[in-house]
Amino acid sequence: MSTGTSTVELTHVGKRYGRTRALADVDIAFDRGVTGLLGPNGAGKTTLLRIVATSIGADSGEVRLLGRDPHRSHADVTAVRRELGYLPQELGYPSDMTAFGFIEYIAVLKEWNDRGPRSQEVRRVLDAVGLADQASVRINRLSGGQRRRVGLAQALLGEPRLVVLDEPTTGLDPAQRADLRRTLSALGHRSTVLLSTHQTEDVAALCERVVVLADGTVRFDGAVTDLVATAVGHVWLADEPGDDALVSWRTGTGRHHVVGGRRPVGADPAEPTLEDAYLLMLGPDAQRVHTPS
Amino acid sequence: MTTGTQGWHADPALLSSYLAGDLDAVNGASVEQHVSRCASCRAAVGPLLEPQLLEQTWTGIRDAVERPALPFAVRLARRCGLSEPTAVLLASAASLRGAWLVGAFLSLSFATLAAYASGGTALAPFLLAAPLAPVLGVAAAYGPRQDPLEALIATAPYGRTRLILLRTVGVLVSVLPVTVLLGLAVPGPPWLSAAWLGPALALVPVLLALAGFVGPRTAAAIVSLVWAGVVLASTRALTPTWPVEAAQQGVYLGLAVAACAVIAIRAGTDRQPGLAL
Repeated sequence: MSTGTSTVELTHVGKRYGRTRALADVDIAFDRGVTGLLGPNGAGKTTLLRIVATSIGADSGEVRLLGRDPHRSHADVTAVRRELGYLPQELGYPSDMTAFGFIEYIAVLKEWNDRGPRSQEVRRVLDAVGLADQASVRINRLSGGQRRRVGLAQALLGEPRLVVLDEPTTGLDPAQRADLRRTLSALGHRSTVLLSTHQTEDVAALCERVVVLADGTVRFDGAVTDLVATAVGHVWLADEPGDDALVSWRTGTGRHHVVGGRRPVGADPAEPTLEDAYLLMLGPDAQRVHTPS
Repeated sequence: MTTGTQGWHADPALLSSYLAGDLDAVNGASVEQHVSRCASCRAAVGPLLEPQLLEQTWTGIRDAVERPALPFAVRLARRCGLSEPTAVLLASAASLRGAWLVGAFLSLSFATLAAYASGGTALAPFLLAAPLAPVLGVAAAYGPRQDPLEALIATAPYGRTRLILLRTVGVLVSVLPVTVLLGLAVPGPPWLSAAWLGPALALVPVLLALAGFVGPRTAAAIVSLVWAGVVLASTRALTPTWPVEAAQQGVYLGLAVAACAVIAIRAGTDRQPGLAL
């Protein structure tokens, strides 16, 4: 899929951890806009994002970020990092730092050396995530959701061209997730934003493009509406759970939402959701990731 | 000045003179007193001020409130010319904060006291503690596998290797002068007060080179055990000053050079973070 002009281009990229295959021959490119990565645990989402964030290297294949090969030289990887915003899946926060102190520290690591503009930028990103009034609060006194937003704020420093967010919505309540969607949506107009999540509704609400990963390979890559379309004719509302359904669960109306398998007797076709399509795409792995709500 | 049913209010001309500092002391103080109590006049002052000046003042206030205070050692370094961004980075290193420095100082003081009390026959505590103080300080400041921000440091343009070297220099600058001063109190030949610098300056690069392979904690444990072995072995069959005598200093120099070479070679291939340090 290499076009030579994309912000992120991965060509035949593979990565192993010992005997475990994390990514296998992944061929994909990303451009401006928000792309959501979906997949069960161990699918390779975090590995892919860490490679794009220059946190780890690929074992095989070619990686080009912002037109550069980060493996070529120290200057190349540094140039990429200057235009990168990264929120890792697990980020520890020094408990004795304030929100302002933490972001300022990262800003210095991102070479914001001039104190005045640096302070302004720190306040801008704190404001962007709704934490302007918590700037002088110690991080250990912030809630889990607020800490996650502090983490997100540092990824927005300098309006980077490439933003990599590994499960940014973890720990956020619905209102905070709505705020985050607004922030990322605005960011997607000027930057390439890659995010992984377990929340299909976040992808449906935010991403114009979705990539489904499983077992280190790309199972689907396309528009959200195209993924949903793959589930048409495979989702029903039935009085009984389907015998050979991929997954089914009892809804609030008392009927069963049946995904996959043969149409149950007396079932009515249902409008598929992104989650239905995602579960169908995973096939047998769907039962491992689906938690009935 | 204007008066009305709500009482006296300063007119715009008077307020402008007040803001420009053109009023004499009595009138100035009078207007100031009034403005501090009168919401209407306070509201009238706002539009007369330059927005840029207001913004500058407010930013200064926010900076004072929101910006965390720097540790004492880093503030001292700032006064000696350390750049502001570097001070922000050093302030995050735990071993440059008060508690750790006080701990290191106390350990070294006890070791010095023991050597002093023995009249120079028991140099082992000092020779053990002096080189290990910077080693443990660097290990504490290093933080690659313990640093909660590791993933961000690793992908920041500043670079982890550079950050660790900066923290190392910070620790050395904080610990070494105190240790040199304490060394002057240790009884024995005059060269002894500086001789421990040889192993100290060798063990730090050895620690950094080892940490690139096994992490700072394991590296600090290995370096500490080896150095303790050398010092304790010398107390059994050799002279008390054997670990820091001239012949051994050559070995330390060789170790330092080898360790720096390992770091340099790995740094040259540091396309992925954490390879060199």
